[in-house]
Amino acid sequence: MSEKYPINLWVNEERYEKLQKAGLAAMCQEMLAGLKCIQVYCNEAQKDKILKVFPTAKFDSATTKSIELLPRQVKDKIFDLVVQKQSIDIMDEFLKSC
Amino acid sequence: MAEIGHGGKEIKERILEPAEAKKRIQGLKQYPIRSQLANEVIGIAYGFFSPLEGFMGKADVEAVCKKMRLKDGKTVWSIPIVFDMSNEEIAQYGVKPGASIVLTYTGNPMALFEIEEVYEYDKKSLAKDVYGTDEAKHPGCARTYAYKDKFVGGKITLVNRPKINEPFTPYFLPPLQLRKIFKEKGWKRIVAHQTRNVPHTGHEWLMKGAWFQTYGELPMDKPYVGVLVNAIIGEKRKGDYIDEAIILTQDELRKSGYFGDHNHLTSLTFWDMRYAGPREAVFHAALRTNLGLTHHMFGRDHAGVGTYYGPYDAHRLLESLQGEINIVPVYSENWLYCPHCGEITSESLCNHKKEWQKFSGTLIRSIVQDGVKPPRLIFRPEVFDLVLECAEKYGFGSPFVDEEYLKKRTPVFVMPPLA
Repeated sequence: MSEKYPINLWVNEERYEKLQKAGLAAMCQEMLAGLKCIQVYCNEAQKDKILKVFPTAKFDSATTKSIELLPRQVKDKIFDLVVQKQSIDIMDEFLKSC
Repeated sequence: MAEIGHGGKEIKERILEPAEAKKRIQGLKQYPIRSQLANEVIGIAYGFFSPLEGFMGKADVEAVCKKMRLKDGKTVWSIPIVFDMSNEEIAQYGVKPGASIVLTYTGNPMALFEIEEVYEYDKKSLAKDVYGTDEAKHPGCARTYAYKDKFVGGKITLVNRPKINEPFTPYFLPPLQLRKIFKEKGWKRIVAHQTRNVPHTGHEWLMKGAWFQTYGELPMDKPYVGVLVNAIIGEKRKGDYIDEAIILTQDELRKSGYFGDHNHLTSLTFWDMRYAGPREAVFHAALRTNLGLTHHMFGRDHAGVGTYYGPYDAHRLLESLQGEINIVPVYSENWLYCPHCGEITSESLCNHKKEWQKFSGTLIRSIVQDGVKPPRLIFRPEVFDLVLECAEKYGFGSPFVDEEYLKKRTPVFVMPPLA
């Protein structure tokens, strides 16, 4: 199976409210001492594109194996797409807009 | 009593009194230097880099590169401390053995540079020896390749003391001052925590774990062991935490009671990180010996970058130098959150491996960047609040370095006009 690389969308009260309204609260998982998160996944090619398009982003290869430090507005856009599509399988569509 | 530093040499500050300084620099050409060199001038003059008395000559650079020793063949030293100049500058400022120039920074005199040698050194070979690679994408190699045509060796003496700007002023504690503070506190052992980060609880427990390891067999009737957080302040990269947030939040752990005056102190060292991994670890050992520390924490991939070094390469190199360095390495594993234990614990202690929730500085930065407050078990609320305060007060709205911060920030230090 090909490798999957998560992007962590951390869920604060505001985001949780949006998820609840959309009936998507169950998509959250408790990731870190109770902190809620939604993970969307990239494949290798998508990961490489994300890191190229957003140079401040970083793949945390040592500890979490996740893509971190995407600008906040980018994370907001990904989150909104998750809510809109009611799915975490949105990276293809997101990357088309980049 | 003499204060003995790295290499068994007495630490002596190389700083002239103002009247003497004025006389010595009269009529000399003034050469403006960039921040990296100004940081290193401070390192040399205040004894952070003892036994160095100036920028290295060729024999020292060669010995450092090939044997990880100074030219005396005995003193361990791992990173060349060099002063670069272009051929045009060398001609323009009359730089030659026997001549002296005045180094200026932020428009005012900083140091007297008594030139002993002007030489060339193969940069690719230097990079390969120090960084274990000659790839230009390694930040240490990139720095090496950016050096100008030639290196200039010679002694450095400060002619003017830097003005350290707020909020950094209380944290600039040079070796002799720091050693005096340790004596006043009655600490018999002090362990260094090297950092360039805002602390999360993983860092906090690295320090607490190191404190326990260092305490060892000492009696508990009085606090005999302290942790010195020694923050490296130097060149910033976009996306790093701003310096003000780093230094203030590290100290906040003491102020908010996670540590106390009896076991915790924060200070800074001016240094542009080379990301030399194992060799940088050895450099840190020498630097912290000069600060008067007895122990030094080294975690996984200490001062590394990318995948250039193995996670325990630094530990192995330090082991091979035992008996030659005068600081005890304290090795540590990563700390993590275990929901089963309900606490921060270490990979070496906890066996609920499948439940572990690992976190890194990068992950925490990502959470903060999302505008989300991490749980207090992961990131202390006082630290989080202070990060936001620093963003407003010093970071132009952001706790992370960006273009605006680099352009508009107040410099950490400036040279005032000569008194």
